[in-house]
Amino acid sequence: MTTLPHVLRRAVRSLWENLSLNLVASGVIAAALMLAGVYLTVIVNLEGMVSSWERDVHVSAYFYSDVPVDRRFAIKDDIARLSEVTDVRYISEEAARSYLADKVPEVQDILGELGDGVLPASLEITLREDFTGPAQVGGFAEQLKGPDFEDIDYGQEWVQRFNTFLSLLQALGVAMGGLILTASVFLVANAMHLVVYTRRPELETMKLVGATWGFISTPFLIEGAVQGLVGAGLAIAGVYGLHHFLLLRLQETLQLTIGGGTLAFLPTAHLLGLLLAGVALGILGCLTAVRRFWTAAA
Amino acid sequence: MIRLYHVHKAYGQVPALDDVSFQLPKGEFCYVTGPSGAGKSTLLRLLYGAELPSSGKLLVGGVDASKLNGRQLPFLRRNIGVVFQDFKLIPSRNVHDNVGLALEVLGTDRGQIDRRVRAVLHTVGLRGKEGRLPAALSGGEQQRVAVARAIINDPAIILADEPTGNLDGAMAVEVMEILRAVNLRGTTILIATHDAALMNRFPARRLHFQGGKLVSQ
Repeated sequence: MTTLPHVLRRAVRSLWENLSLNLVASGVIAAALMLAGVYLTVIVNLEGMVSSWERDVHVSAYFYSDVPVDRRFAIKDDIARLSEVTDVRYISEEAARSYLADKVPEVQDILGELGDGVLPASLEITLREDFTGPAQVGGFAEQLKGPDFEDIDYGQEWVQRFNTFLSLLQALGVAMGGLILTASVFLVANAMHLVVYTRRPELETMKLVGATWGFISTPFLIEGAVQGLVGAGLAIAGVYGLHHFLLLRLQETLQLTIGGGTLAFLPTAHLLGLLLAGVALGILGCLTAVRRFWTAAA
Repeated sequence: MIRLYHVHKAYGQVPALDDVSFQLPKGEFCYVTGPSGAGKSTLLRLLYGAELPSSGKLLVGGVDASKLNGRQLPFLRRNIGVVFQDFKLIPSRNVHDNVGLALEVLGTDRGQIDRRVRAVLHTVGLRGKEGRLPAALSGGEQQRVAVARAIINDPAIILADEPTGNLDGAMAVEVMEILRAVNLRGTTILIATHDAALMNRFPARRLHFQGGKLVSQ
């Protein structure tokens, strides 16, 4: 003897008979998870952006003007031999001047007035991809300091600042997400409380004839899982739609190039996470409602 | 089958049952009588585990019902059929589903439930009414559905709280005759009632309560 067929039949019947309330619960879950999905999409893309910037970190070392040219090339060769370096380019003062004039034509006159020696010659050093952590780049720049270089510059500092901002955003997202998900559990529980309330006479009678907690609660938990799956599915579809129609348009407008050059959609692991979160929300909401009944009924 | 030892039940400071002790052997047919508020319904609620006594010991079918927890309660109730004055049928389910519910919770398969429901409805005189909703039945028929649900899994004990309270004379007699017939098969039956005419027509042992005390038996 097994109660499973009866439990499944009850779950299917309850889903059908309380269709509107179940849709409300799914809608609540969908709204909560869509917010989470949008937030995750933003985070995923920002992380991609940061890691592509990190990969692209160059160290610029500016020579003192009195360092002889042959000495500059000797230093360049020494640096190129370092294991963490993949490429070193020498940028002469003339090359720097013509690059700047080319990029910002407005400064051409000013550069002419200022004469030579305004822009120092430099080395543009590219580091290995696995050597772009803030501490590593900082240490490398420190190592270069000496009598030949006037200044060592690397973009890591603001990448680091952006990373801190990103961590803050993530922490804020976790806190907000926690609040939104808790609120949605309450809303789902209330919707399910109505379902439980409409079926209260049946549930009380079931308890009276010896139904166990498992027999009474399992159909509701199945109902909750289905609500959660439907809600999460709707949320993913919503995020996907938003990604396509809004974010991609923004990308075209702003000419953003992030990572591989496109705004990324959520990876599979995140999508599975959203589905699981939906199921968990549905089950938790239903469990809360049915537990309230179980403790209240004689 | 049922044993009470110095059972006391109070709601706050108000005692509902006061030092109640009695024994009910297997197969006995017995009434619980007394005026309203005497403690009849409280006694039945203790027996089917809806409440726990404040003190004292309560054995129902060998199970200590004074110390039941939530997990044990369903297993006590599977051995007890309960009939109420207001029938407690599920309005949205037909007669078949209402009666079969007691077997569903045991995990009995559908085919067997169908056979047993048909048989028990035949016993209570409701053959052919499996598909009706409770609202389409008379009060007597609804109570017979409730009795059918109580007896379908052959419980050792049936507790009935004013089972004829909402029925007219003829219907009340029909329900009592069914309960008598079930008792003749060996089921212990305890009926809370204050219907003197019915008790005279179906004489049996009486536990008389007054102000929560068992005053005569």
